Amino acid sequence: MTEPVVQVENLYFRYPARTDFALEDINLTIEQGEFLAIIGQNGSGKTTLIKHFNGLLKPTQGKVTICGKDTGNLPTSELAKQVGYVFQNPDHQIFAETVRDEIAFGPRNLGFPPERIEKNTNLVLEEMALLDTVGQMPFQLSRGQRQRLAVASVLAMEPSILIIDEPTTGQDWKESTALMELVRQLNQNGHTCIVTTHNMNLVSLFVRRVIVMRSARLFMDGQTQDVFREVGKLLTAGIKPPEVYLLAQQLIPGFHPDKPVTPDILADTLSHLSEAAE
Amino acid sequence: MGFIELNQVSFLYRGSKTKAISNLSLSIEQGEFVGIIGPTGAGKSTLCWVIIGVAPQILLGKLSGEVSVKGLASNKTPVAQIAQIVGLVQQDAEVQLLMTDIEKEIVFPLENLGLPRPEIERRLNYVLDLVNLRSNRLRHPFYLSGGQKQRVAVAAALAMEPEVLILDEATSELDPIGAEEVHNLAGLLKNEGKTIIMVEHNIDELARHADRIIVMNDGEIVRDGRTREILSDIDFLIHLGIYPPQVTQVAYRLMKDGLLPNLHASRMPLTLEEAVQMLSEEGEKLYD
Repeated sequence: MTEPVVQVENLYFRYPARTDFALEDINLTIEQGEFLAIIGQNGSGKTTLIKHFNGLLKPTQGKVTICGKDTGNLPTSELAKQVGYVFQNPDHQIFAETVRDEIAFGPRNLGFPPERIEKNTNLVLEEMALLDTVGQMPFQLSRGQRQRLAVASVLAMEPSILIIDEPTTGQDWKESTALMELVRQLNQNGHTCIVTTHNMNLVSLFVRRVIVMRSARLFMDGQTQDVFREVGKLLTAGIKPPEVYLLAQQLIPGFHPDKPVTPDILADTLSHLSEAAE
Repeated sequence: MGFIELNQVSFLYRGSKTKAISNLSLSIEQGEFVGIIGPTGAGKSTLCWVIIGVAPQILLGKLSGEVSVKGLASNKTPVAQIAQIVGLVQQDAEVQLLMTDIEKEIVFPLENLGLPRPEIERRLNYVLDLVNLRSNRLRHPFYLSGGQKQRVAVAAALAMEPEVLILDEATSELDPIGAEEVHNLAGLLKNEGKTIIMVEHNIDELARHADRIIVMNDGEIVRDGRTREILSDIDFLIHLGIYPPQVTQVAYRLMKDGLLPNLHASRMPLTLEEAVQMLSEEGEKLYD
């Protein structure tokens, strides 16, 4: 049994000058190589929670351990080697003059030797389909390219955990699925991937484990299809599951899928049921 | 002549080489609920800005063709005057909220118009009830949820008593319940006789209330028709990178598999309720 990459024990967090907790009694374990989504209403604590994974926030009470190290005693710069954080809005993190400089900044800052910086930069440029843009100014790129650049500059630091906060806001379906596809590939290459999103259709198509936050607490934690089946419970957390789950629940009594449901999968299931009935 | 009328309209942003929209012609009647969908970069927001006159009066560029709202040429009428007919709510409500409580937020533009106090009170109470925020009227917008903030932005726009409300990706940063709140509000406003134009990636929600869908791609209108007719064309939407309502996709697949012989290809179910009824009882009854 390998050590979990993220271990959260009895975590409480209160922002300065606030009386209420933004996180209460969170317990959570994430293993190497998982691909999970954290969902919940605006203000439920998603972003506050993931900011504990890279040490941007430190517990008020309780303990967060990343790759075996307690974040309470660790500078954020140390954690940056393990945990890559891609901000919701790529323009909040992009600042360099060229695409190449943007990518090289992180590994240089971590003190990587020049050959390794060069190698990583070339690797992620290719991985993120940004080779054509290498000499351009980041702000000349399209929104989708800037998003990929933000991911690339984080990947160049070789983090084992990749956190992506709301990767799909303001993007259309094609761009959103392309980005999630990219995250899936990174996950298959061994990165532990954590996303927060409001787009339940994307969660259902790409993610294996779902954590639901409600009013500062961890409300549900399970496999994607098991979480989305619990329609009534999700509604109390302000979450509407993808419509295929709602449809399945009304048409198929005791519907209990063993993998995340897509329109095609539900259509197949209904086809089989109707054949069986004949 | 429609309430909103575009005739061969093109717009080229200053410094850009390609037109953001080209040769758009369309007519929107009073009381219609029009959804505008399409990939990013299709020209959807530019279309909204051209209607209000923000392009070319504030966002500079070259406009050709004719745009009018209630007979007024949008490019030649002061934006402030068009804004009294057409209200606009954008993606990020926070950027347009600037006061310290909800009530001030709504009252501020009305005071600017120099309206008498009783009239301001009347409009304030009306919109607070409409967006269901009366009990929060003295709260700072900062302490509201995303859905509530977006509803404040809608309330502030509605207090100007516009005849048309444009919602440009107004739900894209909201959680699913917050998005549903805004869509339900738009449906309610339509029933009150407002003209609604909604730019939206969330097709599942749009399908509930829109009468008509305009599909844009590369600055052009590629489809314009009744909501059911447009959203039933699954292959076309997916080809454009648009994700159709999931329940429509399920029905479409079953139809292709020959399981729903009575279902007409242009009359797919669009909402959960319709799909449940149709799939649990058999096709034809629903659309008779």
